[in-house]
Amino acid sequence: MTIILLIAFIISLIHLSVSKRLKTYVSVLAFQGILLFGAAFIELIRINLVNLLFILLETIVIKSIAIPYFLNYLIRRNKITRESEPYLPDFISLVIVTAIIFGSFLLSGTMYTSINRLFFMAAFSGLFTGLYFIISRKKIITHVMGFLVMENGVFALTLAAGAQMPMLVNAGILLDIFASVLLLGIFVNKIGGILKEQEAGQLRNLKD
Amino acid sequence: MLGTYFTGALVISLLLLLNRKKNWNYILSVAFLILQCILTVYEFNHQGIQELKYFTADALAVILLVISCIISVPAFWHSYIYFSKGKWLPREQSIYFSALVILLTSLSGAYLSGHIAVTWIFVELTTFSASALVYHRRNLRTLEGTWKYLFVCTVSLTLVFIGILFLTMALQQVGLKNLSYSNLLANAPLLNTFWLKIAFLFIFTGYTCKAGLVPMYTADIDAKDKAPSPAGALFSSVLLNAGFLGIFRFYLILSHTGIFSWAGQILMISGFLSIFVASVYMYKVKNIKRMFAYSSMEHIGLIMLALACGPIGFYAAILHLVLHSFTKSSLFFQTGQVYRIYKSKSVYDTGDYFRYNLAGALVLLSGFFILSALPPSGMFISEFLILRSLFESNHYWILAVVLLLLTWIIWSMGKNIFKLLFIPAVEPQEMSMEKIPPWESLSQFILLALVVYLGLNPPFAFTELIHNAIKNLPG
Amino acid sequence: MGIPVFLLIVFPSLFFAGIILRTKSICSGRKGPSISQPLRDIWRLFQKSAVYSETASFVFQIAPAVYFATLLLAIALIPLGGRSGLISFKGDFVFFAALLSLGKFFNIIAALDTGSSLEGMGASREALYSMLAEPAFLITMASLALMTGHYSFHGIFGALRYGSSLSLAAGALAVFVLIIICLIENSRLPIDDPATHLELTMVHEVMILDNSGFDLGLISLAGSLKFAMYGALISNIIIPHGLAWFYIIPVFLALQISLAMLVGMIESFMARFRLNHNPQYIFTLTSISLLIFLGALIISGKIN
Repeated sequence: MTIILLIAFIISLIHLSVSKRLKTYVSVLAFQGILLFGAAFIELIRINLVNLLFILLETIVIKSIAIPYFLNYLIRRNKITRESEPYLPDFISLVIVTAIIFGSFLLSGTMYTSINRLFFMAAFSGLFTGLYFIISRKKIITHVMGFLVMENGVFALTLAAGAQMPMLVNAGILLDIFASVLLLGIFVNKIGGILKEQEAGQLRNLKD
Repeated sequence: MLGTYFTGALVISLLLLLNRKKNWNYILSVAFLILQCILTVYEFNHQGIQELKYFTADALAVILLVISCIISVPAFWHSYIYFSKGKWLPREQSIYFSALVILLTSLSGAYLSGHIAVTWIFVELTTFSASALVYHRRNLRTLEGTWKYLFVCTVSLTLVFIGILFLTMALQQVGLKNLSYSNLLANAPLLNTFWLKIAFLFIFTGYTCKAGLVPMYTADIDAKDKAPSPAGALFSSVLLNAGFLGIFRFYLILSHTGIFSWAGQILMISGFLSIFVASVYMYKVKNIKRMFAYSSMEHIGLIMLALACGPIGFYAAILHLVLHSFTKSSLFFQTGQVYRIYKSKSVYDTGDYFRYNLAGALVLLSGFFILSALPPSGMFISEFLILRSLFESNHYWILAVVLLLLTWIIWSMGKNIFKLLFIPAVEPQEMSMEKIPPWESLSQFILLALVVYLGLNPPFAFTELIHNAIKNLPG
Repeated sequence: MGIPVFLLIVFPSLFFAGIILRTKSICSGRKGPSISQPLRDIWRLFQKSAVYSETASFVFQIAPAVYFATLLLAIALIPLGGRSGLISFKGDFVFFAALLSLGKFFNIIAALDTGSSLEGMGASREALYSMLAEPAFLITMASLALMTGHYSFHGIFGALRYGSSLSLAAGALAVFVLIIICLIENSRLPIDDPATHLELTMVHEVMILDNSGFDLGLISLAGSLKFAMYGALISNIIIPHGLAWFYIIPVFLALQISLAMLVGMIESFMARFRLNHNPQYIFTLTSISLLIFLGALIISGKIN
C-alpha cells in the first residue's frame, strides 16, 4: 500500500514538472500532503500515539490544508499572475525531472534494505525536484513552492531513515513547520505589501 | 549554569521585545552581557563537563565562546550609538535588541552543543534572528537581502538535516543510535564510508551558507551588507565561526576514517574557489561593506585550505579564525562611522577620510594592514603558517595561485581603502557631516591591538586551547 | 486456437468508431447516428474508386493497403486470456512495434509523395508524436517482460500475476500508459482532434487529405482496428489469469466497449492541448513507463 502511495508521489512530481498554473501547484502540494499522511500512518503505526498524532497533524493539517489555503490566499491577495513562468521550456523540465527520478533510483540502489528503496527514491526525487524548481522558476511564490516540495521529500526521507529515532523526526518536523510558517506567513505578506507583482526580478538589485 | 543562561537570555529577549522604554532596553542589554560573560568564565573553568545532556564545553567551544563574548560587548556598544544617533521607533529598537540577544544566545548554544542535531537546531535559530536584524531598516533593499538570506539559509540548513539523516542511516547500519560528537568520533571507523561521504557533502554544503564559502555564499554577502554595521560585524565574525564549527566538527569525525583525505580535497576545492570568487568580486566591488564581506570569504577560504593541509594547517586555521574575527568585526564597526559621515557606503561618494575622522581613518588604515597580514599583525603568523602547510603538503600549484590571488586581493582592497582615506570626494557635503568623537573608535583599536598581541605573544592558555581543539586530528 | 482469438478482436472493432460517435452524441445532448453508421460509410467508400494526383507515384497507391495489412498482422500477434494469437514467438512485441512503425512509415511517405506542403506538415507532426510515444510502449512491454521473465505476448500475459502491491501498481500504470498511447496513435483528442478542419492544427486528418474512395475506406477501417488492437492489449493486462473462455468473451467485449466509451467521454469533456504542449505531454508517458521499468526491476530481483 505504501508503495502505491509513493509511486503516486513520484507521479505527482512528474505532473508538477509539466503543469503551467499556480493552482495546479497548490493542489499537487495538498495531494502530496495526503499521500505523506497515508505513508506516515502505515509506517509509524507502531510508535507511540503522541508522536503519531503529531506527525499526522503535520501532514494533514499543515501540509494539505493550511499551506494550500494560505498559498491560494496569497495568490489572490497579491494578484499574482496564474502562470508559473519557468526559465526553461516544460519539455526540458520534464526530461530533467525524469532524469532526477532515475538518478534517485540509482542512488537509492546503494541502500541496504530493499523494503525502503522506494521510500528513498521518492524522498530523493522530491528533494532534487524541489531544488530544481527553485532554480528554474521566476516567481518568488514558486520558489516557496519548490521549497515545500523539497520539504515533502525531506519528510519522506525522515520516515524512511528516522523511524527508530522519534527525536530526530520531531525536530525535523518542528523546524519544517517553523520554516514554512515563517517563510510564508511573515515574509510573503511583507513582500506582498511592498511589491505589487511578486516577480523575483524586482528583488534583483543586490549585486556587484 | 547553561540552563540558567538559556532561561535568562530567553527572559531578557522577551522583556526586550515587550518593553518600549529605551533606557530599559539598555539596562536589559547590559544584564545580558553580564550573563554572557559569566557563562564564558564558567565554561572556561568547566571544560569537558556534560551539561543538560546535550552540551559539552570542549576547547574549540570555549575559544569561540570567548571570541563571541569579547565581540558582543562592542557590538552592543555600537548598537547603542547607532540607536542614539538615528530616529528609530521604540518598536524597531526592541526588535533589534531582542534579535541580537537571541542571535548571541543561539550562537552560544551552537558552540557548546555536543550533539550534531542540537548544533543544527541552534544554527537554524541563528538564521531567524539574523534575518530580523537584516530587516531592521524596513525598505525594499533590506527586504531583498532578508528574503534571500532567509531562503538560501533555510534551504541550506535543510541540506544539513538531510546530511544528518544519512549519518543516522550509517549509524543504524551498525546498530547505533547516539548522534553525540563523542560517540560519532569513537565509532566513525565502523561506519560505511559511502554514507559518510554523502553525509559530509550535504552537511558541508549546508553550512557553507553560514561560513560564506562557495557554493552558498551569495545570500551571506547581501546580509552582511544590508544589516546595520554592528550586526554585520557579528555576521562576519561569530556567525561565520558557527558555520566553520559545523564543518569542523564533522571533519573531525571523518579524521578517523579512510575518507579523511577525500574530505580534505572537498574542503580544498571549496576554499580555493572561495578565494578565487572573492578576488574576482573584490576587483569590481565599490561598496565598502560588501568589500569586507568578500574579504571574509577570502579568509574563510584560506582557513579551509589550511584545514585540508595537515598538522601545521590545523593550528593555523584556528588561529586565523580567531584573529580574523577580531579584525573583521573591528572594520565592520568602523564602516558604521563611515556611513554616518558620508551617508553612503560607495567609494565614489567617500574620500579624504583623514580630514573628517582621524581616529576612524587610523582604524581603517591599520585594519587594512592587519588584514593584509603585514608583519606586526598576528594574521601574518597564521597566514604564513597556512602557506607553509600548503607548501609542506606539496600543493605547490595551489600555493602559487593562492599567493597571486592574495596579492590581487590586497591590491583591489588597497585601491578602495586608499581612495576612501586620502583622495577627496567629488562633492563632499561638509556642512551636513557629523563630527564623530574619537573615543567611539576606542573599541576598534582594542580589538586590533588584541590581534597584534595574540599573534606576537600568544598567552599559554590560548595556545593550549588551540592544541586541545585539534588534538583529535591526525598528525 | 489462434483463429477465434483473431476474429474475436477484429469483429468488435467494426463497431468501435460507432460507439465512440454515439457516446459523444449522448454526452453533448444529441441522439446521434446508429452504431453501425461509420461502418456503412466505410462500405460506401469501398464501392468507390480512388482518384490519384498526377504527381503521386505508386508509393501513394500501395500505402493504404500496406498500412491495413500491417495492422491485421499486428492483431494476429495478440493473445487473449491465456490463448495465444495466430502467430507467437520470442520477442514478438518488438515485431509488433516494428509492424506499426512500418505502417506509419508508409503513411508518412505517402503523404510526402503527394508533394503537398500541408500534408508534409501533418506527416512531420505525426512522425514526431509516434517517435515520442514509441519508447513509452517499448519500455512498458519490456518491463512487463522483465517482471514475468517471458519474451512473447503470450508468455508475458500468461505469466502476469498481481501478487504484491508493487506489481499491481505497475499493472495499473501500464494500463494507463497503453490507453494514452492508444489515443495518441489514433490521433484522438488531447493530441489531435479528428473533427477539426483547421489546417494549421490538424495532424492525422491533413495527412490523408489526398486519399479517396477505397483507400480512404481502408484507412478509416484501419483506425478502428488500431483501437481494437490496443483494447485487446489492455484487456490482456486486466483480465485475471485462468478465466474460462465463456467468461473471457463477455469480459473482453465489455472492456472493449468501455474503452470506446472512455474515448468518447474524453473527447467530449476534454479540451485539446495547444500544439506546442503535445511533445511534453507525450513524453510524460515515457517518464511513467520508466517508473514501471524501475518497479519491474525491483520485482524481478535484478536489483534489490
